[in-house]
Amino acid sequence: MTIEVNGGRRGLTDPEIAAVIMAAVPDKPLETQRKMNYFMKPRGKRINEYEVLCCYSQPTPDWIPGGLDWGDWTQKFHGGRPSWSNESTEMRSSDWLAHRDPAFRWHALYVKDKAEEWRYTDRFLKAYSADGHVRSIDPVWRDEVLGDYLGAFGFYEYGLFNSHSSVVRDCLGDTLRMSSAMIGLDKVDNAQMIQAERTFLSKLVPGFPESTDIPKQEWTKGAIFKGARELVQDIWQATYDWNEILFSGHMICDPIFGQFVRREFFMRLSSYYGDNLTPFFINQMQLYFSQTKGITTDMFHTCLGADVEFGDYNNRLMRAWANKWLPRTVNALKDFMAIYATIPEIKGVSDKAAIEAALVRVFADWKRDFADPINYKVDTAALVKTVLSGLK
Amino acid sequence: MAISTATKAATDALAANPAPVSVGAQEVHRWMQSFTWDFDKNRTKYSTKYKMANDTKEQFKLIAKEYARMESVKDERQFGSLQDVLTRVDAANRVHPKWNESMKVISNFLEVGEYNAIAATGMLWDSATAPEQKNGYLGQVLDEIRHTNQCAYINYYFAKQGQDAAGHNDARRTRAIGPLWKGMKRVFSDGFISGDAVECSINLQLVGEACFTNPLIVAVTEWASANGDEMTPTVFLSIETDELRHMANGYQTVVSIANDEAASKYLNTDLNNAFWTQQKYFTPVLGMMFEYGSHFKVEPWVKTWNRWVYEDWGGIWIGRLGKYGVESPRSLRDAKKDAYWAHHDLFLIAYALWPTGFFRLSLPTQEEADWYEANYPGWYDMYGKVYDEWRARGCEDPSSGFLPIQWFIENNHPIYIDRVSQVPFCPSYCKGESTLRVLEYNGKKHSFSDQWGERMWLSEPERYECQNIFEQYEGRELSEVIAEGFGLRSDGKTLISQPHTKKDGKLWTLDDIKRINCVFSDPLKAL
Repeated sequence: MTIEVNGGRRGLTDPEIAAVIMAAVPDKPLETQRKMNYFMKPRGKRINEYEVLCCYSQPTPDWIPGGLDWGDWTQKFHGGRPSWSNESTEMRSSDWLAHRDPAFRWHALYVKDKAEEWRYTDRFLKAYSADGHVRSIDPVWRDEVLGDYLGAFGFYEYGLFNSHSSVVRDCLGDTLRMSSAMIGLDKVDNAQMIQAERTFLSKLVPGFPESTDIPKQEWTKGAIFKGARELVQDIWQATYDWNEILFSGHMICDPIFGQFVRREFFMRLSSYYGDNLTPFFINQMQLYFSQTKGITTDMFHTCLGADVEFGDYNNRLMRAWANKWLPRTVNALKDFMAIYATIPEIKGVSDKAAIEAALVRVFADWKRDFADPINYKVDTAALVKTVLSGLK
Repeated sequence: MAISTATKAATDALAANPAPVSVGAQEVHRWMQSFTWDFDKNRTKYSTKYKMANDTKEQFKLIAKEYARMESVKDERQFGSLQDVLTRVDAANRVHPKWNESMKVISNFLEVGEYNAIAATGMLWDSATAPEQKNGYLGQVLDEIRHTNQCAYINYYFAKQGQDAAGHNDARRTRAIGPLWKGMKRVFSDGFISGDAVECSINLQLVGEACFTNPLIVAVTEWASANGDEMTPTVFLSIETDELRHMANGYQTVVSIANDEAASKYLNTDLNNAFWTQQKYFTPVLGMMFEYGSHFKVEPWVKTWNRWVYEDWGGIWIGRLGKYGVESPRSLRDAKKDAYWAHHDLFLIAYALWPTGFFRLSLPTQEEADWYEANYPGWYDMYGKVYDEWRARGCEDPSSGFLPIQWFIENNHPIYIDRVSQVPFCPSYCKGESTLRVLEYNGKKHSFSDQWGERMWLSEPERYECQNIFEQYEGRELSEVIAEGFGLRSDGKTLISQPHTKKDGKLWTLDDIKRINCVFSDPLKAL
């Protein structure tokens, strides 16, 4: 038969072609090692699918620790700066490819989860609206807190989302790059969920403003988010070290400021003001926070802090970064305390004692999960006191 | 509206119409453009000589969750096919062996391009100022992760289920040995991520994706299917559905700089450089993989190239951008000449260096030789007779002691590496457009094969000084290089690469190579 085939004839199903192919196929496989990436060291007992599909996909030379390639870059930046370089971060590693997402999520698993959350969100909103829950929301909470301040908080999430762009460009590991893109997408998802809630409310409550104008005014000019805005701007655009961006955003700022605003303010208080809509969205954000925490603690504690060669140095550097970013985060939270003056006080819920208890929870969690592992000494009581001084 | 009135209105509205209400993706997306704000430090970390407009829109208006829904649906179809019906019919063992080998290279090298595109679009996400434009690039960041995983899945699948796992199972470790690797890094890796952000976008989106993904990702599926491979079409066509978004991103990049004065000065030069960079590698390598890496042929590569690259891209796609001042690259005419012979020239060199690959290569059979001669008149006199000579000298037989590279040495046909593209060429034995040019810089000699690369070098030599494989391996014996680069199968002695795919043919071992005592030398030192 002719070797040129056309008309869409397929070798798998066309008997004539298939016969030629099968005559050429070896009688038994030529190689017994069938595991892709068999040469790598798995995080667990065996190489899992995530490790097969992600690990060593990055073609970096071996002078970037962990790389399998050799030689130089084939094209550099104007002036000769290399494509990727060890100098892009103050952190040191003996293997930049060591990170693993603890959930072992490659792309398909990641989008499957989020797609399911989207479908469930749609079902929930339909049920919520048909059930008339919106009638029970306290008007001040609804129009001022959700309309203005939750909207303003969306800019915080959007700014942190943007801080991941240069990390995705510059970081030195494949699994790191994929994780960073995913936790970045979660942040813009948070901002979009906030806008989705506001759009949803505008459909149910005539006159509720869907526009982002007032929230943006609050974010850019208001006092409540002034510290947070300056903090986010510095993480996003004034920081060039990609590890410092991730550390400041996910090991300091978000576990303290983000956690307080989402968990202790919006989620905890909302039900007291008749709002069981906001917790639905915040719970998704908290799931993302939890997954991100798994990723960043793996990067900074399991890999960099425990690096056999550079662990001590890295922990010292992380403590120096904590010294730099913690006061700004505390200041952001202090500014945020002014929000309590805008809502009707509920004893035991939004009074000073309750706020202090919430702050203690957040700082205790942060100390346990983020400060202690790098041996960072911190007086959380003093931090709580500083933040409380922002109460009006 | 007063607060109490609003509550009452909500209550009344519910009473009048209790129908369930939700929020659609577009209702959220229409606010995206307002998500950013101005502040002093707000500028990109990656400089560009162009200014991207603040109000640029995106064409695919997705939010994060809708993106995930869309991709998840595609994944279900794709992985469902792979893991169910294709596995049950033992599809990986019904692929022609020559094509099984080609997919070791195609899938892994495409993976590198997809992987680097993650970083490239991260840079563009940073560089754009308009939130919608950032959002478009963000979608692409996630797509590129998907494609990296998908390409890997092809190698993973073939390794686990196919006829020869070697090379599929460790391509990421062994791919750097051979002569095709550095050129691939230039087009698929560094060309996407190192430079002016818009220049990188032109390389990635305007040329790489809008021009070469059509032959690379679409045409390849026809060749795969003809040769029994249904895994590759299943995965690659799913990848291609995302590429539309990427082409749209490239289009929007041009739109965003259209009114910038710098665009009229630099855009066409950057486009020309990007096109030449991409075509210099893809034109010969894709043609070689299709025609020499298959048994059943779909059509001559030159026809595929002409349709996708010359007419569809150079004519229609670039024509659409004409209103923004974009012109077809000046180098397109020279590229068209390369499309006829360059892949034949490259295969001659690739086969001569077969021990440095991570795949098996095959000499053309008689029926293939007839097909080449029919479609490329003059093929036999230039190439066919050389292959006959190599075959007669036993190049497929481990006991022959003959490696085809010896033929180049015996006949005084030195093989050089083009410094800018890192593509090997033999100026004294080729039918393509390559001519030897040598320049000295920083105390070293540098060879070039064409005027377009030489121009890039003369403008910015510091960007392209990368060491090539002959400089890297100079003075080293071939079997040492293979062993060091993990070019062996799991028995620790048989080479992954082989000069044939015959089911009964003997396999070369490291000892067979060592006996020949082939030592690398740098041809530039002889000049």
